[in-house]
Amino acid sequence: MSYSVGRLDKLVEKNRVHRDVYTNPEVFDLEMERLWGRAWVYVGHESQVSQAGEFITTSIGTEPVVLSRDKFGQVHVLYNRCGHKGAKVAAHKTGKTSMFRCPYHGWSYHLDGKLNVVPHDRGYDDTGFDREDPQFSMQPVARVASHRGFVFASLAGDGPDLKTFLGATIATIDNMCDRSPVGKVEVVGSSLPYMHDCNWKMFIENLNDAVHPMVAHASVGHATRKVVDGLPEGAPTPGEAEIISPFGGSYEFFDSLGCRTMPFGHSFMGGKGSIHSSYSEIPGYMESMVASYGQKKVDEILSQNRHNTTVYPSFTLKDAVQVARVCRPIAVDKTLIESWHFRLVGAPEEMLHRTITYSRLINSPASMVGPDDWDCYERMQNSLQSESAHWVDMRRFIGQEKLEGDVTVSPGTSDQASRNQYKAWSAYMTGEVA
Amino acid sequence: MLTASKNEASDLREIEAFLYREADLLDAGNLRAWRDLFTEDGTYWLPISPDQDDPLGHISIIYEDKMMMAIRAENFGHRLAASMQYAVRSSHIVANTRLQERSADGSEIVVKSNFQAVIYYRTQSVYAGTCTHKLRREESDWRIVQKRVDLINCDADHKSIVIYI
Ligand SMILES: [Fe+2]
Repeated sequence: MSYSVGRLDKLVEKNRVHRDVYTNPEVFDLEMERLWGRAWVYVGHESQVSQAGEFITTSIGTEPVVLSRDKFGQVHVLYNRCGHKGAKVAAHKTGKTSMFRCPYHGWSYHLDGKLNVVPHDRGYDDTGFDREDPQFSMQPVARVASHRGFVFASLAGDGPDLKTFLGATIATIDNMCDRSPVGKVEVVGSSLPYMHDCNWKMFIENLNDAVHPMVAHASVGHATRKVVDGLPEGAPTPGEAEIISPFGGSYEFFDSLGCRTMPFGHSFMGGKGSIHSSYSEIPGYMESMVASYGQKKVDEILSQNRHNTTVYPSFTLKDAVQVARVCRPIAVDKTLIESWHFRLVGAPEEMLHRTITYSRLINSPASMVGPDDWDCYERMQNSLQSESAHWVDMRRFIGQEKLEGDVTVSPGTSDQASRNQYKAWSAYMTGEVA
Repeated sequence: MLTASKNEASDLREIEAFLYREADLLDAGNLRAWRDLFTEDGTYWLPISPDQDDPLGHISIIYEDKMMMAIRAENFGHRLAASMQYAVRSSHIVANTRLQERSADGSEIVVKSNFQAVIYYRTQSVYAGTCTHKLRREESDWRIVQKRVDLINCDADHKSIVIYI
């Protein structure tokens, strides 16, 4: 690697970053080791492995992993690598099994990753082979922790605990769960994958970039308004229009939401209001909530409304819509985004239908919102190769941040969320504690 | 179940002609005229998993009613959309058409067909699979109650899809 720590440090200045952070494959490899290899990364939700023997396969950075539940009910995150020749052991996205078995030479493993059977193991007699040696297992990742069923893992043995890491973003997870009358959410079905031809950070930076919707999502805003205006007078606003329209919200609207940033690169927009605030009520939902919590507590729960809580670097959540998106870097210019959809356990099924509609209209590769973002990321990935300039600016509203405890508040169209991400990025990449 | 009909062969030819016309409108990028082929309660469905039976409680790639089709027609080629600054050209081949169901009075039918669609949008991609058209006879012509497109790679990691398949 030709990238020294000293050089990495020079890629980030207080109001701009060098284009190498998006385009240089060496920087990407170092990110996998230093950032994705140390941060708490979202793996999956416990409801996806609710029964013993269930597993899902995913990745942490570029490391293939399995999330499994053993027969004692314990959840594990294991490297998806056979302890024998290194083949990927589990290939299915989800499954249920009594053990993992490598299809190459038949080594099998318990759901906690410990070596079970080695076929024809006479050949290992007197070779020094020790079946207890972790190198011959499917190794567990260094640390696993969960909050309200959301499982995170860190490939590093040391660092802050999950609660410290999540900080103020924990209230987004809590709020999403509390929106269920029984305080529980569960994943519904398979994910919605969307392959992006861009660096992972372009997606993450865009989450709290409120200067782009007015421009990048103008067309779908116009198209929606035109069609809704043509509806017969007195017709109710279709749910789809309620979902799409705020994407064309004004700069002033987004500024008033405000952007909040916090340690470790996290951020969210809004708090008491968001682009989801004016959805109409779904019959039966309020009743079920009030029956569980009482009116006062329900008002408190529903008054929190955050837009795109970003848990840097891997995860973003919409508490009011029950959609999570997971960022999975593949190469310096390739990133898989997976949307996951949650049911508010005990709530009317129409709440789930809105979650699903939202994601189809906004997150789907065939939506009229995601592809415009996609295209802008890809344009950056391409034209950042230009030798005409080497820096990417992020100075909007710099110096106008206000501190509220360890949360920094800025106007919604500030670049503060990006600046805050690069503060964490530098700390990870240069080896300081983030 | 399919009720045998002595007119089955001619029905099938008529239905095929309708499916070709539908594919033609998509290939011409004429989303307004294409939308007019649907009944007022018509839907277009692009499921994300094989054998998906629920468009409401499970994510799909596309599930749109006529209002969404109208928005999409307005948005298609919009000068303000970054994703629309490229040519979108497609070529559908529709084949293996077979009648699956017919209502007693013959006014509603379900017809399956196989298709291959080559779509040129930034790069050239091939989509293939099965279409299930639920058609209703309204006045003298067929109208689409639902077009369901089951891609053989419905659960793949797709990039942007900017037109109905
Ligand atoms: Fe966007």
